[in-house]
Amino acid sequence: MRSQSGLVTGLLFSVVTVYAISFASLNATMTSTVVSGMLWVALLFSSSASLPRIFLSEEELGTGDLLRLTARPHAIFWGKSLFNCFQCVVTGTILSVLYLGFTSKAIAVPWLFAVSLVAGCLSLAGAVTLCGAIASQAANRAVLSAAIAVPLLLPLVSLGVSAVRVSLGLHVRHEDVGSLTEGIGAAIGLVGYAGVTLATGPWIYSAVWRS
Amino acid sequence: MLKVDRLGKKYLGRWIFRGLSFELGAGDRLVILGHNGSGKSTLLRTIAGLTAKTEGTVTLPDGDPRWTLGLCALEQALYGQLTVAEHLELTADLRGCPARVDELLEKVNLGYASAVPASQLSTGMKARLKLAMAIQPEPKALLLDEPGAGLDEEGRNLVDRITSEQSARGCLIVATNDPLERRLANLELQLA
Amino acid sequence: MDLLGGVEKLKTGLRALFVLLMGVATVWSFFVPDAEAFQKPGMARIFLWHFPCPMLAVFLLLYGAWCSFRIFQRVKLSPFELGPETDHDEKTMWDLRSVASMELGYLFCILTMASGILFSEIQWGAWWSWDPRQTSFLIVLLIYAAYFALRFAYTDPGKRAAYSGAYSLFTILPSLFLFFVFPRLPYIKSLSLHPTDSILQGQIKGQYAEAVILILVLVLILTIYLFKMRIRAGLLEINLEKNIGQLENLGVNTTPTGVVRPVSVSKPD
Repeated sequence: MRSQSGLVTGLLFSVVTVYAISFASLNATMTSTVVSGMLWVALLFSSSASLPRIFLSEEELGTGDLLRLTARPHAIFWGKSLFNCFQCVVTGTILSVLYLGFTSKAIAVPWLFAVSLVAGCLSLAGAVTLCGAIASQAANRAVLSAAIAVPLLLPLVSLGVSAVRVSLGLHVRHEDVGSLTEGIGAAIGLVGYAGVTLATGPWIYSAVWRS
Repeated sequence: MLKVDRLGKKYLGRWIFRGLSFELGAGDRLVILGHNGSGKSTLLRTIAGLTAKTEGTVTLPDGDPRWTLGLCALEQALYGQLTVAEHLELTADLRGCPARVDELLEKVNLGYASAVPASQLSTGMKARLKLAMAIQPEPKALLLDEPGAGLDEEGRNLVDRITSEQSARGCLIVATNDPLERRLANLELQLA
Repeated sequence: MDLLGGVEKLKTGLRALFVLLMGVATVWSFFVPDAEAFQKPGMARIFLWHFPCPMLAVFLLLYGAWCSFRIFQRVKLSPFELGPETDHDEKTMWDLRSVASMELGYLFCILTMASGILFSEIQWGAWWSWDPRQTSFLIVLLIYAAYFALRFAYTDPGKRAAYSGAYSLFTILPSLFLFFVFPRLPYIKSLSLHPTDSILQGQIKGQYAEAVILILVLVLILTIYLFKMRIRAGLLEINLEKNIGQLENLGVNTTPTGVVRPVSVSKPD
């Protein structure tokens, strides 16, 4: 069941992170590289803390069996990952608005920023949902799901940082953030990551869900 | 209709059961007896595919197991925030079968509580709802784990009615440690 | 018998030859002329042993994922994707290959990091330089560690094989990115201290290149041997388990807990 706790947890985490970073960097000039890095780190930990709950709670409440008896695995995976996608995009958008507001950072290439953020959030949601499903029947599921998700998400974060860095600092003087082509390349990488994750996720889940 | 061949389940190095073989046809009602911890519930879960078997095979009735298999178990959990009627609508949506909410609630005598969230149901009411969900697709094989637990006399009569109906439709397996529930069966399996 | 004896003698001879070649390669790695392409050529001999490690760590991670894919190929889903029936022996073998590959890959990944850190200190003056290749291998090390954390979390062998196999499969995409794309991204490449395509570009040549190739081949042979040994050890464990089961069937119960069997399937009185 999709409870609101995940969304609230993710948002609360984001707001606290934004506040903490802004407070820590008081009066400091934040470069585009630092801002994009911080943004993606906040998104990474916010998603890996809140998104796996969607599968873990089924096992903790004991309702997993009801689903296994009545539903197809593809339906379960799609239902849960689409909800997580929605949750992650909402969290990412609010986090970005707050963060860029606090740091007074302008967006130089808005469309690149939007594409990177949405594709990155979809990738994060797909990967974290599957990791939640994979860890859901282990005894230490809550910690394990985050521990196995983070290493898989680090390459995604590096792509996200590359794309957002370009979108923020392309026309800013004294900042070497790479070219627009590099930013577009990273954004394409994010779209590809999201596509592959969401396409293979249901197949992998259907192979293990009754193990 | 339902065939179990040399079925075995090992857990943490210990065989829960092993070398179990039987075949049930239409109208067969098997009761599995045994003391606590003898593996009755694990056997039902293994037959339903919820627990992986260590060896052997289970052949379920032909067709989509979501339709041909119904399981009602004591430890099965419900969604606390969903009402009784919403549970039946949800399982019908997931199975792709008719919800038959009114008909099923009338059958398990739970019509008066259709709008009550599951978190507010008593143990007996939860057992009735789980029975309704198990028989919703009119399964060819119905598996009941301790069906009388938490039910009053009227509830036990309800179980009798459901098992009689199941005999006409297919086969039934009941796991229990209540000797009185031997009345539900025409076959018996004792787990040591 | 003569034929079997001959094969055994041949195997012993090959093992002796391998040990001899390993000794020669080790000694040679100290005396081979310097490769001038390095910043401190005299101190760069660790490269000879460092070079095969990342290659094998990459190959073994991908091979482990392939074996996991084969596990799932053995899961025959029923027409409505419920109640998977699995060929247990085949599944066990592929799981064994997968875990053997991942264990060896983890070992080579640790060796890559250890020798890489030494190399970094000697050549670039810092134990950790945030070099893109160093960083990407640290992530690969974390992926390996996560795989084993997941594997240890499941006690049931079926669940262990399925869930760790699923994770192994899922690592393909980030791994390919880390190995082949990330270090070659233009912005990242410009930050890299790592030499790329050194052998292909002729920066490492002559006896030094020959030593690199000899050690690569020897380490590869050693890996195949270790892989086969790990499979044999795994099979011995499985056979031991099966034999205990057969003894239980004969009534010779070797485990402290009894075997529970059905007593009867009969009509009640």
